Amino acid sequence: MITFRRISQLLFLTLFIVLFFQAGFPYASILPADLFLRASPLVAVAVMLAGRVFIATMILGLAILLLTIPFGRFFCGWICPLGTIIDGSDHLIRRKRPPARQRESLRWRSWKFFLLAAVLISAIFSTQFIWFFDPIALLTRTFTTVLYPVFAFALGALFNAAFKLPFLEDTVYSLYDAAQTHALLPIQQPRFFETGLIVAIFALILGLGMVSRRFWCRNLCPLGALLGIFSRYRLTRRYVSEACTSCSLCQRACKMNAIEDDYTVNNTVECIECAECVSVCKPHAVSYRFGRNPGKNEIDLSRRRLLQASAAGLAGLALFKTAAVSRIQKGHAIRPPGALVEEQFLDRCIRCQECVKICSTTGSCLQPSLTESGAEGLWSPVSIPRVGYCEYSCNLCGQVCPTGAIQPLALPDKQKTKMGMAYFDKSRCIPWYKQEDCLVCEEHCPLPEKAILFDVHEARGPDGTLRTVKFPYVNEDRCIGCGICENKCPVVGAPGIFVTAAKETRLSAPVAMRGAASAG
Amino acid sequence: MQDKITRRDFIRIGAGAGLAVTTLPGAPQWLQAAPASPLLAVARNGAPGVLVRKAVEALGGMGQFVKKGQSVLLKPNMGWDRLPEQAANTNPEAVAEVIKMCFEAGAAQVRVLDRTCNEPRRCYLRSGIEKAAKAAGAEVRHIVESRFEEIQIPGGELVTSWPIYRDAIESDVIINMPIAKHHSISGVTLSFKNLMGLLGGDRGALHNHFMTKIVDINTAVKPALTIIDAWRIMLRNGPTGGSLADVAEKRIILASADRVAADAWAMGLFNIDPATVEYLRHASRRGLGQLDLKRVKIEEINLGV
Repeated sequence: MITFRRISQLLFLTLFIVLFFQAGFPYASILPADLFLRASPLVAVAVMLAGRVFIATMILGLAILLLTIPFGRFFCGWICPLGTIIDGSDHLIRRKRPPARQRESLRWRSWKFFLLAAVLISAIFSTQFIWFFDPIALLTRTFTTVLYPVFAFALGALFNAAFKLPFLEDTVYSLYDAAQTHALLPIQQPRFFETGLIVAIFALILGLGMVSRRFWCRNLCPLGALLGIFSRYRLTRRYVSEACTSCSLCQRACKMNAIEDDYTVNNTVECIECAECVSVCKPHAVSYRFGRNPGKNEIDLSRRRLLQASAAGLAGLALFKTAAVSRIQKGHAIRPPGALVEEQFLDRCIRCQECVKICSTTGSCLQPSLTESGAEGLWSPVSIPRVGYCEYSCNLCGQVCPTGAIQPLALPDKQKTKMGMAYFDKSRCIPWYKQEDCLVCEEHCPLPEKAILFDVHEARGPDGTLRTVKFPYVNEDRCIGCGICENKCPVVGAPGIFVTAAKETRLSAPVAMRGAASAG
Repeated sequence: MQDKITRRDFIRIGAGAGLAVTTLPGAPQWLQAAPASPLLAVARNGAPGVLVRKAVEALGGMGQFVKKGQSVLLKPNMGWDRLPEQAANTNPEAVAEVIKMCFEAGAAQVRVLDRTCNEPRRCYLRSGIEKAAKAAGAEVRHIVESRFEEIQIPGGELVTSWPIYRDAIESDVIINMPIAKHHSISGVTLSFKNLMGLLGGDRGALHNHFMTKIVDINTAVKPALTIIDAWRIMLRNGPTGGSLADVAEKRIILASADRVAADAWAMGLFNIDPATVEYLRHASRRGLGQLDLKRVKIEEINLGV
């Protein structure tokens, strides 16, 4: 059984990674690239609660939640890719032998319920904060902004070094090109602003394995807490026969510390069905059977502590909610095309960076926000045109958004959706400040009827000569704020043309549920 | 004002001098590349693949340009995330046919690439060129930044050195294959500007004093053959376009070893007098080719009824 579990864990981790790479152009995945995010019960519950909306794409998450009632926390033990990575890292950083014949501490394990309480209470008050804690969102975020750029850099560096091998150059180039054509390697190195906090959180989660195995899962993961509550009444039970010699091996082998000092009893809230106890038992006394579990299944939480946690959660949220955001910052919070109105957008966005990942394979305009949308909007996607621009014929971000924070738009609709509008800075734009032609912005403007036009007239240059100059200006009705003008502007530093969120088109949920719009 | 007159005079004298120099023995090699009476083939009214073959045959066949065992760099315009019918990129059928002709002439290798303006994978895929060129046997490659090499441009007036893609330096033969499109910089973008797809660095910086700089670049990269795809041309809102209303189906493909003559002839499709186009005047003055179409031998092939 333990072999089956390991195979299942590896298969699901592999699927997670394959789907991660599938989130790219051209997007032709059989399974949706955001499948794991859609399957997170915690995301489903918190986002639907906060947004007061039923989200059809998240139905898989609800299904897993319901399946937990009869089958227990199989998701944690058999599927969760973060759980599998933690198992792997625990294996690497911990001593091979189980700890001494004494039960590990239980003192931290109620924390995950406090976190869950805080998250759900805030969702009831219409503020979604699960994005910080959901393990699938957290892992996808880490993959996109940390692991993938490092992987791409390392592989790219390897290829560039191999280019210097005299006779293999053609072979290396052909391999390099194949890797790029098939989207294993991005053409442009993905680069993200300050990802220190994302790295630190991931490193902490793995590093806590030094304290105990699956420290995150045992003590902190609010998804585990939610599934634990639902698995109290599970119909599978751990059965220990008369052959038990009370040797304590199973208790020491249990990753979740779920086996009580009477080794025949386990805590069904904590048990993740990993079956380590079955495989480790020398007299083969342990098995899993159908039936109501006679074991311990209460959650040891005092009502007082729970109320304290909820209050603390609400206070923390209030701090986020009341943090100042200047209008300059807001003007730079250029959202992806198809984004819901800001309040609804923040209720739905789980900061998973799936949109950022798929964007990094095309125009690369999306970045996890740091300051643009204030503290509350941390890591939510914003377009930074000086880094990348929105490809006119791309509508992929909305197709991989698991929660519909970015609605999927058919290509003709996307091409009419304004992310913002471009403005000239006449003190920096070459034709305006030194009366010389430039026109790079106009050249790249992708609209069939260009949104950048010229006013051609004579002007006196800095040297006093009269010359005919093409002075560019923006047509407000046509501009969709894609940002290619700002991106390509040859002026060093701050550009001569820049996009703000002015005149942006934002959708209001639930006008169009996912699936209504066709892929383009 | 004094300054302007001097420049014009200089151009006039320079153009004459340039012509004279090309006929002199011992002139620099890049000047000799342009014969005084070049041949230009214009094929009309047929499928793109047929027209491009007829045009090259009229110049004496691909064997005139590609010898057995040589490596060929074919530079179409595939710089934009647009579909073939939008006429922002070179016609994929014509590109495939040129590749076939190169192999028929004995080419050891044909490589197709472009430093694109939109995201490279989108451009390669949606232009239809990647698929067509690969099917014809070419290697279609994405640009790798580390393969640009800074080269000196001794003939450069404003640009004296620039990073150029290694394949453009090392290939035996370069074939330049632009599509004829509207462009606000010079009215039309043709073969001269198409070579920008082989340049590294910050190309935006070239758009200031573009007319001189693009000729500087063209003294450094020397295509043996220029084929202009005017099967569909983009009349407005170039070089990106997008609207089919801006596309005219001309069903013309022209070819010449003389890029100035080729560009000059194609200007006529947009009702522009080539003599008024500043970069062509510079190019002619600096001996890159024949601007005066009266001095060009034009071979017309009309397959239509």
